[in-house]
Amino acid sequence: MTVTFPNMGTLPIVLQALLKALGVRTLPPPPTGKATLELGARHSPETACLPFKTTLGNFIQALEAGADTILTCGGGGPCRLGYYAAVQQDILRDLGYRFDMLVVEPEVGSAWRVLRRLTSGGWRRTWSAFRLAAATMRALDAVERAACSVRPLVAVGAAGEVEAIRRQAAAAVAAATCSAEAAAAAAEFCRRLSSLPAGEQPPPLRVGLVGEIYVMLESYVNNDLVRRLGRMGVEVRPTMLLGDYFNAHILRNGAARHREEALVSLAAPYLDRYVGGHAVKSVGQTVALGQTGFDGIVHLFPFTCMPEIIAANILPGVRDSRGIPVLSLAVDEQTGAAGMVTRLEAFVDLLRHRRKNTAGM
Amino acid sequence: MSCKIGIPRGLLYYYYGDVWRDYFRRLGAQPVVSPETNSAVVEAGGRIDEVCLPVKVFFGHVRLLLASQVDRLFLPRVVSAAAGRYSCPKLIGLLDIVRAHVSGGPPIIAPTVDSRSGWRGLYRAAADTGAALGHSPLASLIAWRQAWRGRRPPPAGARPAAGRPWVVLAGHPYILYDRHVSMDAIGKLTAMGVEVVPVDRADPQAADRAAAALPKDIFWHYCRSLAGAALAFLGVSPPPAGMIYLTSFACGPDSLIGELLRRHAERRGVPFLLLSLDEHTAEAGFVTRLEAFADMLRRRKP
Repeated sequence: MTVTFPNMGTLPIVLQALLKALGVRTLPPPPTGKATLELGARHSPETACLPFKTTLGNFIQALEAGADTILTCGGGGPCRLGYYAAVQQDILRDLGYRFDMLVVEPEVGSAWRVLRRLTSGGWRRTWSAFRLAAATMRALDAVERAACSVRPLVAVGAAGEVEAIRRQAAAAVAAATCSAEAAAAAAEFCRRLSSLPAGEQPPPLRVGLVGEIYVMLESYVNNDLVRRLGRMGVEVRPTMLLGDYFNAHILRNGAARHREEALVSLAAPYLDRYVGGHAVKSVGQTVALGQTGFDGIVHLFPFTCMPEIIAANILPGVRDSRGIPVLSLAVDEQTGAAGMVTRLEAFVDLLRHRRKNTAGM
Repeated sequence: MSCKIGIPRGLLYYYYGDVWRDYFRRLGAQPVVSPETNSAVVEAGGRIDEVCLPVKVFFGHVRLLLASQVDRLFLPRVVSAAAGRYSCPKLIGLLDIVRAHVSGGPPIIAPTVDSRSGWRGLYRAAADTGAALGHSPLASLIAWRQAWRGRRPPPAGARPAAGRPWVVLAGHPYILYDRHVSMDAIGKLTAMGVEVVPVDRADPQAADRAAAALPKDIFWHYCRSLAGAALAFLGVSPPPAGMIYLTSFACGPDSLIGELLRRHAERRGVPFLLLSLDEHTAEAGFVTRLEAFADMLRRRKP
């Protein structure tokens, strides 16, 4: 059994840590790129959302490379993600691939059955594998956050350093064999990031990134939006890294539930109900970041994404009543880098002028 | 003077319109349904971004009612119409979208129907609606039950005369039966000599069995009924001569369910045509595609 899974930001590294520790052979898909997108789009229904197409492309590339088992998620709606696996499986079988698809539905019984299919290891081994995966996830998120705050500050000549350190950090965290090693690697690389030479910039603009998790985390499909904004002198606050999602939707401990409730009540005057996906959180985070003095919000989602289209229709009202600029961006396989960069630059210009005017008053 | 309740002629009106009208009449109110969709309605709804055509059309009907003399607007929020299932996100968030785009206007009666954990959600919605008009919960529930019993579902199990080739027309009722949105596809196909069977004519039990046989349950209630009905028709012997799926561009559930049905149809050798509609769809191009499909079926005939 050779297991593959979809790409999404740091997810492949985390899953690889988990599965390797469980004694499962893995074959992650090649990094999502042009070929992935073309393959996925060719075999997907035309108006399926982008994550459907790119993850289908990931699966095709991994199956071609020799994987025979796909590990992916299910869901109970109302977002389309819950029905991805069923349709993707049909498409792949009609293409002639032979494989097993392990679908983790959001219930304990399903997760347990999938785990038993993957491994027969004892409790102790399973427990330590999950601990390692969680530590890997936290470590990678910490590096990501540090890179976001450092990017707008470093001297022009050192811009490339940030990404080099990020890559080294990912490799070091992936090589960790226990939670402590992963945490130590994160601490070390965060320190290296913060000791990069600083340039002569004014205090950076602060922009919150809200929207749909897949397109926020998968840098190829969002044209490297976080890094581009960073280089324009913007400190990006990602509101949903993998760990945030995990805490809010899977772990659901006291602190995470409390944060969720706070966001839901902030969103309530504009959108008072769960409509699937992260729409309520996109609205809640916009209000929350507006209250804490952020300069603007970038709202990112896949073209035709049902929950985020509702948010996109509601956010202009939030913008007007809360006075925080919002840029809603839909991405699909046609989205070109040039168009996106132009819109980001215009938005950043607007935020700069706004700050200057407010400071002058 | 009885209270005038404005009901937009769009989306779920095509499922429950009869029941809603009857219910309000029983409560002594006067239901006012917006007229049939026309291009002015579509135009009025066009200001909502990126949503599917039926939602734009619905919003157009809301704007029309806001401009007329109604005392209340009836915009139920149907989160779930069956246990364990959901409506599509846009139906759930419809009310929020309307509220974000209109200010002022008559008060909105907006009961929430959430049947995910059983029928109590529907009863509460009926009671809330009655309460907004000053009726007791009991009177409201009795009115609702009587209205619900009096509903006229489409004649089930309809099958065309034996021997004639027939085509299943799949799609949501708010597309198929809105003659402007569907460009009167039923009328056009009939005029081309094609025997059309709308998908909601399937036997409900057979449709439910077909949907239950899918490896993964379809969690969108209305899509599940649609897919089950289409699959039930694909399973009859002899199978239909073809299947046409009328959908709207940017319909999320249809993008996956249409693909599922296409694959099922093709495995059974039934030609399948997916036609996607939006406000820019040109009638001439639409007719050409229907004609080409009808011609192909005729040539294919043994």
